[in-house]
Amino acid sequence: MDAQLVLMQLLSGVALGAVLIMTALGFAIVFGMLTVVNFAHGALFMVGAYAGLFVVERTGSFWWALLLAPLAVGAFGLLIERMLIRPLYGRPADDPILLTFGLGYVLIEGVRLVFGTQGIPFATPPALVGVVNLGFGFFPLYRLVVIGVVALILVVLWLALEKTKFGLIVRAGARDPQMMQVLGVDIRRLWLIVFGIGIGITALGGVLAAPMRNVSPEMGSIVLAEAFVVTVVGGMGSLFGAVVAGLLVGIVVSLTSLFAPEMATISMFALMAIVLLVRPEGLFGKPGLGV
Amino acid sequence: MSEAPFLEVEDVWRRFGGFVALEGITARFSRSRVTAIIGPNGAGKSTFFNVLSGALVPSQGRIRFKSADVTGLPQHRFLHLGIARSHQITNIFPQLTVHENVRVGAQALHARYDLWTHRQRRPLLADKADAALAAVGLQDRRRRTAKLLSHGEQRALEVAIALVAEPELLLLDEPTAGMGPDETKQMVHLIERLAIDRSILLVEHKMKMVLGLSDRILVLHHGKLIADGSPQQVQADAEVRRVYLGGCDVRA
Amino acid sequence: MTRWPRLSAPGTLPDPARPGSLAGGSIRLSDWRVPLSIVALCALPWLLPSKALAVNVLVYGLFALGYNLLFGYTGLLSFGHAALFGAGAYLTGISIGQFGVPWFAALTLATAGAGVLAFAMGVLSIRTRGIYFSMVTLALAQLVYYTALQASSWTGGENGLRGFTVSTINLFGARINFLDPVNKYYVILAFAACALWFVSRVLNSCFGATIEAIRENEARARACGYDVGRIKLLSFVLSGLVAGLAGALSALHLTIVPLDILHYQTSGLVVMMTLLGGAGSFFGPFIGALAFLLMEDVFSLWTSHWQLVVGAIFILFVLFLPQGIWGTLIALRKRP
Repeated sequence: MDAQLVLMQLLSGVALGAVLIMTALGFAIVFGMLTVVNFAHGALFMVGAYAGLFVVERTGSFWWALLLAPLAVGAFGLLIERMLIRPLYGRPADDPILLTFGLGYVLIEGVRLVFGTQGIPFATPPALVGVVNLGFGFFPLYRLVVIGVVALILVVLWLALEKTKFGLIVRAGARDPQMMQVLGVDIRRLWLIVFGIGIGITALGGVLAAPMRNVSPEMGSIVLAEAFVVTVVGGMGSLFGAVVAGLLVGIVVSLTSLFAPEMATISMFALMAIVLLVRPEGLFGKPGLGV
Repeated sequence: MSEAPFLEVEDVWRRFGGFVALEGITARFSRSRVTAIIGPNGAGKSTFFNVLSGALVPSQGRIRFKSADVTGLPQHRFLHLGIARSHQITNIFPQLTVHENVRVGAQALHARYDLWTHRQRRPLLADKADAALAAVGLQDRRRRTAKLLSHGEQRALEVAIALVAEPELLLLDEPTAGMGPDETKQMVHLIERLAIDRSILLVEHKMKMVLGLSDRILVLHHGKLIADGSPQQVQADAEVRRVYLGGCDVRA
Repeated sequence: MTRWPRLSAPGTLPDPARPGSLAGGSIRLSDWRVPLSIVALCALPWLLPSKALAVNVLVYGLFALGYNLLFGYTGLLSFGHAALFGAGAYLTGISIGQFGVPWFAALTLATAGAGVLAFAMGVLSIRTRGIYFSMVTLALAQLVYYTALQASSWTGGENGLRGFTVSTINLFGARINFLDPVNKYYVILAFAACALWFVSRVLNSCFGATIEAIRENEARARACGYDVGRIKLLSFVLSGLVAGLAGALSALHLTIVPLDILHYQTSGLVVMMTLLGGAGSFFGPFIGALAFLLMEDVFSLWTSHWQLVVGAIFILFVLFLPQGIWGTLIALRKRP
């Protein structure tokens, strides 16, 4: 096998992994903190992409899109939590799943209403067009940039969680919400903010992925499945697991497409099935999550 | 006595991450009547029960019941082997009627996969449920929705559900939790009646009750077994006194 | 506010005066639920604006009936039932179209195949607890979707499966023109009636009490001696058999199998129908299918974005009417 080709595929895998991490991260944050499985996740990713499109069309700048779209969709996320999710605390754990599924349904149709049903191409920002000569091959610049941006986001997230007071409260709240309430933390405000942040990150992922995927109302459906696969493989509720799993899945899919292209998407699910058989709690999940 | 011990716990440990809940518990039980397990809060009593009933697997050590090694078996197998427990925090089926709560318990061992027979067309199960309810004194409540029962009645229902499994070893985890003196007395009488036909392991906090009721007492403290003997022996044990009473003298 | 109906329902209480009897002397509607349902469904085509709509209600109602066994009665929120419905459809189409199998044998094969798939999905997904189950079932169903997409020589890929039209069927010597919508409806109803009877039987049985107990308090059920994992798996398989049958009937009805049948939007569809109708009630699934398809029919006259309205209604139901239409009616009827 041509070593250069494999290396290129590996790098492709890392780029894909970076996008997968973005799809899974927002989901994992909401799940880890609020124990809410957000079935509108894919739709919100898609809304993020469309929001980015909207900003680019108005301002002509991708950078503004990267900033404004996540903020806008994140704010929308705050509204969602306040109006739709909060009433469900204390009710059976399945109810947020049902509700967010319905929400996703509504969002997809809403986007069709506003933007039409056809896919819209999202042009790669002019500054990032082109390929880079890496020595062993040419690689699209944009995808390298995505890897870089995701890495940056992860670093910022890590710093925020580990080094700030807010991050400490978030981590403690995930472990023991009742204790936090006893300590005087307004847990509902906390959940509201964390939800908004999770949605914002998801939307950011949508904007980043937009130049690489056709922006259409249906683009979120594969994202939902991807987020689930990454979460299952990485371990429920583990952010670190989501990162590792994202990379792993990206590389597996990319290498599979080298040897058996038609099996590429299926390989992601096959990996999940194997993890479920061998270690149901995921790579970094806590055991005892199974029956 | 060369008879194999009824229940044998051998060097059982249970860790939760860095925390050691049970440390090297070793004990042998014959088919005695009532054995009590006492200890201050956090001593590991419920964890011990969880391990004995199969809800938790020991991190280390073995458990043998009637000479068979049951360590690590799934929880539902314990019921089939003859070990049933009631819970410290009432754990019933709140939306079902009292009768149905217990009938479901009986069904678990006799008809759980029966896809065909109407659930009421198995009079054997209904009869067993009625018998268990009568034993705990709840037969008049059989049609009530379980969540509407008083606290004491719910505790009795807890015991009935464990009882209907017809266990040889019955683990009762603080059956009188939250009960007043009258209800406690009723429960004591119940336990005495139940002890005639089966072995009972009892976790309790009410010392007077424990001393009057049990043939043997195990004392746990910080996960370790610090005393094991008759009520008189345990009462006189210096370590027990220190742990419970700070060295003061007390009479039952 | 709970989604599940109160379980001290007629038919589950024993009568102390006559042990072993079911009715305590009075007539309980729920004892007659199968015949009553069948009568209602017999009348359906004449009450709806179109026969095609009636067939859809029947097929999706059957799908939801099977789904409800797992969701409403066992308490497992699966988002992967499209795979079972679709498997039933594809297996029917492939058997008839590519292997020339007679229609009845094809139906049987398809239903059994869906059961096997349900077993495989169940084994993988039941290892995960609670809310993770929904995620895993969705992902597994997507696996089936992408496999079907790739195996286009068998499934027709994106274009769907065609070429297996059944126009006449031989039933006990009589030749029935299956293309006539009324005939089609009643033939499908015959199968639906069998499924209704089967499901009712299972729900009334000791197993039915078992799955309800698991739904009520899984930890307690395990502490009573129930092998919860195995029981959930059995419930999954039974649910899959009924869903597969519905899919097979859907294939016969439409004479094509679109790829989207396997997409999780179809899973979501049956979830919505079941909840709208009333999860945990017997006839609720059909009511839900009826409500959903009627709404689609009516709203799409006003706007092509009817899904927006239906989705919003669904959200309102989750928030305020979680027992669904039929479930709420039953609860109101039981109030003293």
